[in-house]
Amino acid sequence: MTTTPIYDSATSTGGIIQPFRNIWRNRSLIRLLVARDLTVRYKRSVLGVWWTILNPLLTTLVFWFVFSAIFPRTTGSDVPFVVYLLSGVLLISVFFSQGALAGGSSLLGSRGILSKIRVPGEVFSVTAALAAGVNFLIGITILLLVQLATGWGIPWTVVFVPIPALAMLLLVTGFGMLIASAAIHFYDVLDFVRVLLQLVIWLVPTFYPIEIIPENLLRFIHINPLYSYLVVFRSFVYEGAFPPAWNITYMSVSSIAVLMLGVWVFSRSWKSAAVMM
Amino acid sequence: MNSEPTITATDIRLAYRMARDRAGTVKEFAINLLKRQVVYETVWALDGVSFEIAPGEVLGVIGPNGAGKSTLLKVLAGVLAPTSGRVIVRGLVSPLIELTGGMNPEMTGRENIVLFGTLLGREPSFMRERVGPIAEWAELVDYLDVPLRNYSTGMNSRLAFAIATDVIPDILLVDEVLSVGDERFRRKSTARMEELMGLGVTVVLVSHSLSTMRAMADRVLWLDHGRLKMLGPCHEVVAAYEDSI
Repeated sequence: MTTTPIYDSATSTGGIIQPFRNIWRNRSLIRLLVARDLTVRYKRSVLGVWWTILNPLLTTLVFWFVFSAIFPRTTGSDVPFVVYLLSGVLLISVFFSQGALAGGSSLLGSRGILSKIRVPGEVFSVTAALAAGVNFLIGITILLLVQLATGWGIPWTVVFVPIPALAMLLLVTGFGMLIASAAIHFYDVLDFVRVLLQLVIWLVPTFYPIEIIPENLLRFIHINPLYSYLVVFRSFVYEGAFPPAWNITYMSVSSIAVLMLGVWVFSRSWKSAAVMM
Repeated sequence: MNSEPTITATDIRLAYRMARDRAGTVKEFAINLLKRQVVYETVWALDGVSFEIAPGEVLGVIGPNGAGKSTLLKVLAGVLAPTSGRVIVRGLVSPLIELTGGMNPEMTGRENIVLFGTLLGREPSFMRERVGPIAEWAELVDYLDVPLRNYSTGMNSRLAFAIATDVIPDILLVDEVLSVGDERFRRKSTARMEELMGLGVTVVLVSHSLSTMRAMADRVLWLDHGRLKMLGPCHEVVAAYEDSI
């Protein structure tokens, strides 16, 4: 902070490394923004931050009712269906879907700041993904409590949960940047994405047991990268087993690929984006 | 002292490329595309502007509405990158802007002080220490834990001014801010501005008030339709500008 900062418009375009540098430089700002995101959202509601927990729990309850009371099915595993459901809701709905949407709308939502103060836009994408990640972590403590309460227990492999969590963080950040780049130019992109995300969520066994999928459609589920995230996460968090290597590979490769694609598209559209706002 | 200019702008041009009847949605865009009606118009908000500002100098920017004054400030703040040309700004920049756009109305005054200061590049730990002095200067000590949505416009701009001028920046970018607030606070903020100028802060001041220009500016830059119409000593440019209107 002691050296004189120099802003030179000719060097500010940067390369693929620049966004990562911006994020590191602004880490204390990101920490503040994440805290703001988590507390402000529910500030005027009666239950406040408790919604962070209530939201996935109520969603789980609805699907538990639908899939166990109306269409009784088995999950193929002995795990209580509520554990299966809650783990899916947390990873796919709370972390992926909500995080990607928040990331996608983060630039438009921060227009007031971005049109006045020089802050790199990627700061807001990372903030959205991290906030979703924190909600996910809070949800995991509830999931573990449910595992204990149902007598299922907590396997030691739970220590590996940070691996799928980190991969999901990269995926959500990259995906959010892609949506944000498009949303700057066309407002209704967010509406499209909201519907699209619904479809994507239903294309993987988040809410329903995978056994209800006919054999000939299974490959369409396997091809969806999100399926691998689910398999890896569920293996570690309650099954106590190591997931197949191809799931881990597919998860890791897709997370890095989407992140790099997001960063690339974002930094290319950023210059014109500032003018549009 | 550094003999390099604080701000060097070389032939900066900034284009707003707008689709006529700008399509705000994919749907409209697709419809326009089918009707072959996507016509892009390029509007040059800044068109070949060059100038230098020496350390400690106060540069006034005048011109009619839509001349590109605010765009110029945004380019200097680094918010907008020039389409062509180059801007070099040497030093810590503090923009004097209203809080309303950027801040979260649900957050308290205290939280906003820390967040806004951090957005301006200061450390959160430093900002937490400065909450007291800033609130005192803005005369908002009793309102620190009240959400910003309950602040009046005047309170809001007092807080913004207090945060922006809490540290002594190298460069202060001012867009008409001096006109807000009641008479007493206007005097107080003008005094603070003059104090900063006395300390050698470089100032770029956008204002419609020619009397403000006469009182504060060393040199004045007259913008018209994005072009630099005149740049020179304050009294000369202001006199020429007055003759033209």
